[in-house]
Amino acid sequence: MINKIVDFPSRATFSSMKSAKNLNVAIAARGVEMVFSSGAGSYHALKNINLDIRKGDIQLLMGPSGSGKTTLLSILAGILTPTAGSVSLLGKEITNLSKQKLAEFRLKNIGFIFQGFNLFPALTAIENIELALNLQGIKGKKAKEESYFLLSQVGLASKAHSLPRDLSGGQKQRVAIARSLTGHPPLIMADEPTAALDSHSGHAVTELLRKLAKEEGCTVLMVTHDPRIVDVADRIVYLEDGVLVDS
Amino acid sequence: MVSIARKNLFEDIPRFLVAQAGIMLAVTLVTIQTGVLKGFSLSTGLLIDQSQADIWVGSKDMVHLELTKPILYEQYIQAQQVEGVAMAEPLMLGPGFWSSQNGELTPLKLFGFNSEGKLFVPGKITTGNVKDLKQPLSIIADQSSLDSLKLQKINDVGQLRSLPAKLVGITRDTQSIAASTFIFTSLENANVYVNSGLTSKVNCTVENNDFNCTTTFEKKPEKNKNSESEMPIIEPLTATDPITYVLVKAKPGQDLEQLKQRLEKALPNTKAYTTPEMAQKTRDYWTKRTGVGFILGMGATVGVVVGMVVVGQILYTSVSDHLKEFGTLKAMGASNKVIYGVILEQAVWMAVLGYIPGMLLCVGLSHWALQTQGIMILITPITAGGVLGLTVLMCVGSALFAIQKVTSVDPAIVFKA
Ligand SMILES: Nc1ncnc2c1ncn2[C@@H]1O[C@H](COP(=O)(O)OP(=O)(O)O)[C@@H](O)[C@H]1O
Ligand SMILES: [Mg+2]
Repeated sequence: MINKIVDFPSRATFSSMKSAKNLNVAIAARGVEMVFSSGAGSYHALKNINLDIRKGDIQLLMGPSGSGKTTLLSILAGILTPTAGSVSLLGKEITNLSKQKLAEFRLKNIGFIFQGFNLFPALTAIENIELALNLQGIKGKKAKEESYFLLSQVGLASKAHSLPRDLSGGQKQRVAIARSLTGHPPLIMADEPTAALDSHSGHAVTELLRKLAKEEGCTVLMVTHDPRIVDVADRIVYLEDGVLVDS
Repeated sequence: MVSIARKNLFEDIPRFLVAQAGIMLAVTLVTIQTGVLKGFSLSTGLLIDQSQADIWVGSKDMVHLELTKPILYEQYIQAQQVEGVAMAEPLMLGPGFWSSQNGELTPLKLFGFNSEGKLFVPGKITTGNVKDLKQPLSIIADQSSLDSLKLQKINDVGQLRSLPAKLVGITRDTQSIAASTFIFTSLENANVYVNSGLTSKVNCTVENNDFNCTTTFEKKPEKNKNSESEMPIIEPLTATDPITYVLVKAKPGQDLEQLKQRLEKALPNTKAYTTPEMAQKTRDYWTKRTGVGFILGMGATVGVVVGMVVVGQILYTSVSDHLKEFGTLKAMGASNKVIYGVILEQAVWMAVLGYIPGMLLCVGLSHWALQTQGIMILITPITAGGVLGLTVLMCVGSALFAIQKVTSVDPAIVFKA
């Protein structure tokens, strides 16, 4: 870990500290590189990524399949450690945090939405949300009430006791949005949330996400290659072959 | 907390049932093996436990209740004179065989005791009366043996060695699983059954102030039998007749250790045991020296291993199937503690839900075995509690495999479609 700090170009470290002081930046990446190495060789998936995402923005990250969007999102969410470079979230440098500290940070600050919904199939809609609240230390009756409130916010109060397999794709993603909002996280990270949905429900889901995020004052980073949802974005960046292309 | 562990467990009912069957099997194996061992051990000393004696005096070469050398009736008479003895009674054990009406042979162990005495108790009499043993050639049998002796009711007759034997009483809680069939009769009857035609001689010498006695048995002159076909004459025992034990009741307030020493001194070539010592010596022989304890212990170990493999396998597959969910939990920021908690909770659920039917099965089996086979499978609360602890340990132990699998999950898998 210490080696990594020493290896960084000092300019990158310095500028990341500068951006950390910038109160308007929620997510900042400096000189992020990602090289996947396997037995056969290595693959340079991300090259010198520098990015600032403003607080309260709905930021889209677009680009063709295989361009490195998911890899970048994982790094910005503290799930994947970059080969080089630094990331700071909400003014906190996360690149050198231990796995455990990263998990704590994610639990408190980041809500996730996945392309495949990733609901717990054995739990009902309301239990899926309750579980997320339980993880954050909210238990019992309070968690039940809060889950019900969140479900009604995404218009699914009537489906509270349905299992995921009895919900449509759009409904599942709405449950996932409700789950991502538990504990009022300042950041929401979504990887292709509409890819598994038809265009109508895809649009409805992103509209809902935009509305709730704006109400909560969340910063949203949404990876997509769905051009039909660009109208929800405040800003858009493009990734091509692991390189950011400004719009 | 929403119990994702429990819900995941019940999500796939067929697999859950397979797991529970495996755990049930393990619980049953361990409980039955332990129960058989305990029941076996208990059964080998039942008659000693039930006796009202404080001290058992037998040959100094005694190995366990049924494996010993004879002593003399005379020593019973002498024992009554020893200071501190309130009451003494003779007990004779002898081998025999039973021919049922259809000619089937069954090996027997015959117990001859004073039917008017108090110290030897031939189990719990359910039918008939001990006093009826005063009738010549009468016996009491344990209800668990009636089938094999082809006896059904009082006054049924079979053949013991070459003499007739009439059932005058039925008892229970006497039979040792390790021994041949126990039959109870009066001392005089037993003497006729076992020793008819035998007489004994004791030759004692004194060497360095030590008694050194040898007992020899010889064919008696044919005075006891009038002819081949006629009944033998039943007589009280004489000083030179062999018996097996002298049961002693101490006077109130006696120090049993000192009384034992006085008895051993007064009765050469004998050794005295308190009743608990006698029971322990007999049980130790059967559980330790015969290797029965080892064998049953191995059975129990196999049970635990089978259980661990089954539970380990099921938990591992379950975790593998739900790997993406564990990845999601990790991505959401759940700590390792929470994730291990889910797996351990699943393991404990499996343990408890496998234990309950397993233990019920064992209790049922133990009743059945006692009723129909006369085999005691002893399930004490301690055994039941111990097996529960072991089951939980077994399940938690096998959960460690699954935990290892989930530790290596990269939360990045959540973004893989
Ligand atoms: N764990 C990995 N090991 C090796 N290569 C990977 C790994 N993850 C992603 N890649 C490669 O990195 C590139 C970018 O992948 P990804 O970020 O998933 O793209 P996108 O989300 O834009 O479709 C792809 O070529 C992919 O094969
Ligand atoms: Mg992707």
